[in-house]
Amino acid sequence: MATINATISVSSADLTSSPLALSNSMTMTKAGTNTGLEFTSGLVRRKLTAVTEINLIPTGLQIYGTPQASDATSPNTQGAAGKLYIKNTGSSSVDYVEIGLGDVGQPNEINDNTSKITIGHLYGGDWMLIPYHGKADVGDVLAKPSTAEPTTLEFMLFFE
Amino acid sequence: MATTTNSLTLTSTDLFDDSLSISNTSTCYKAGTTIGLDQTTGLTRTYLTATTNIDIFPVVKDATNAAENGKVYIANLSEDVTEYVIVTIGDLVIGRLYAGDFMWMPWSPKAQHAQDIELSPSVATGMSVEFMAIHNFANIYPTGADS
Repeated sequence: MATINATISVSSADLTSSPLALSNSMTMTKAGTNTGLEFTSGLVRRKLTAVTEINLIPTGLQIYGTPQASDATSPNTQGAAGKLYIKNTGSSSVDYVEIGLGDVGQPNEINDNTSKITIGHLYGGDWMLIPYHGKADVGDVLAKPSTAEPTTLEFMLFFE
Repeated sequence: MATTTNSLTLTSTDLFDDSLSISNTSTCYKAGTTIGLDQTTGLTRTYLTATTNIDIFPVVKDATNAAENGKVYIANLSEDVTEYVIVTIGDLVIGRLYAGDFMWMPWSPKAQHAQDIELSPSVATGMSVEFMAIHNFANIYPTGADS
């Protein structure tokens, strides 16, 4: 096991009439235990040069080791406590990478069909940290840049 | 406009032979601009006592303005390691937040997906969660939700 810590801070002096100062920390553990996650994809850096949807993190492949895929909706399944970090390393406030989840095998683009759902847009400098379950057919992590100008994503998967 | 910054640190001294240390800071901007997001739902803390799914951020109607953008924060405050909450966007599961876990993600609703964000607790014995959206949507509160 390993001890992997994540800390988030969100702050603003003028979003509301009183200052916002949110801070939270977590230790990444295996599902339902105090045992730390022990595997990772490593920090992957990938340059995208086309306005094309790609399968950033395919399910069912063992390219990063053997992530415990699971059905996140079913109780008592193991492997459902993975974490996924993604960052758009660019600096543009105009160009973005659309991040989605779903089944890459479906013919439509991320935002054109309910089999693939857009989570949101990562503009230059934006990051996200979400849970990851890796279930086949619904857990592909998809990315589609808004521009053909080179866009570099970094991502890191933590799993059991 | 407002200036809202968000930062993340990821650290580990024993995941690798070498230490892991990632640190990021960014600002919450309206889409395609350097103008800060200027609305928020506020940080909501609620105590869930049923396993029924709830819409914490319902379907955003008419989210068609190109400058609309959003960020979502959700945390499971439970201290029982076996308890979790399933987070869903539209009809797709994002994943489980176990006790103590949090998440931060962009949120760019598409009308055709009915991209509400829902939570489903694993137990009905009571679980505290916190959530907040920072956004500039014209109408985060819907005329109707999909569930």
